[in-house]
Amino acid sequence: MSAPPQGLAAEPLEQLPGDLMMWVLIVSELLVFGAGLAAFLSVRLSDPAGFADAQDQLHRAAAGVNTLVLVTSGFFAARASRACLAGRPRQVRALLALAMALGGVFLLVKGLEYAEAIGAGLFLETHPFFTFYYLLTGFHAAHVLAGIVILSLVGWKASPQNLEVGTAFWHMVDLVWVILFPVIYLLR
Amino acid sequence: MRQDPLLRAWTWLMALCLASTLLAMAVEGGRPAGMLAIPGIAILVLAWLKARLILAAYLGLAAAPFWRRGFEIALAAYGLLLAALYLIPAVYGLG
Repeated sequence: MSAPPQGLAAEPLEQLPGDLMMWVLIVSELLVFGAGLAAFLSVRLSDPAGFADAQDQLHRAAAGVNTLVLVTSGFFAARASRACLAGRPRQVRALLALAMALGGVFLLVKGLEYAEAIGAGLFLETHPFFTFYYLLTGFHAAHVLAGIVILSLVGWKASPQNLEVGTAFWHMVDLVWVILFPVIYLLR
Repeated sequence: MRQDPLLRAWTWLMALCLASTLLAMAVEGGRPAGMLAIPGIAILVLAWLKARLILAAYLGLAAAPFWRRGFEIALAAYGLLLAALYLIPAVYGLG
């Protein structure tokens, strides 16, 4: 987007960093997850004690560690975008590799969490809490996986615009998690 | 390094994530719903602060005040909706 003439404030659309369509995607994803979390808390109204008991079966500490992992991964992705603007391709690839590796760690911890829950007999139909838990965290994990693929693609075809769009998707995944995590795992 | 906005945002995000997890673990179970409501609201406020940081520093809205304000207002309205849904059982003594 071209810069406005000196002395004039940029039009709102020109202020928006990155690609407009990426923002459309980000907003639509936020609306989907936002609706899911509002539905989760609405269904909780019918059985708050049951939801609290179900939540006690989850590993809050592991999910907390996963939050730190994802937020740190977002930091590396944002750094990669800056490095690309500064024309440092090797640094870009190293930072993206770190971001993707931490995305992999997130999925590994999530997989262990699912394996433990399933091993304990906790399935989609066990309780409405677990229906939302598996659907919302599973849908989010699918986005993490997609984000890793996108980061690998923008690392391969590194340009400032590609990096900005690819890392914006990754930050959207981060943003969803910092709202999803407290609602599903922490609120009692 | 201390002036780097990305590093500063990451440091705050780590602190806020730790604070919300530790707060939730400190008040785990065995308490009436009314007593859990205050830490619950604190956890939602921490989530709102984390989301603001990601929007501003990671997604670059710090450089776009119009959009930053718009996202923050929408996020605050959504946070109020979640807080209301969360508080209803405590207020009406459900469960």
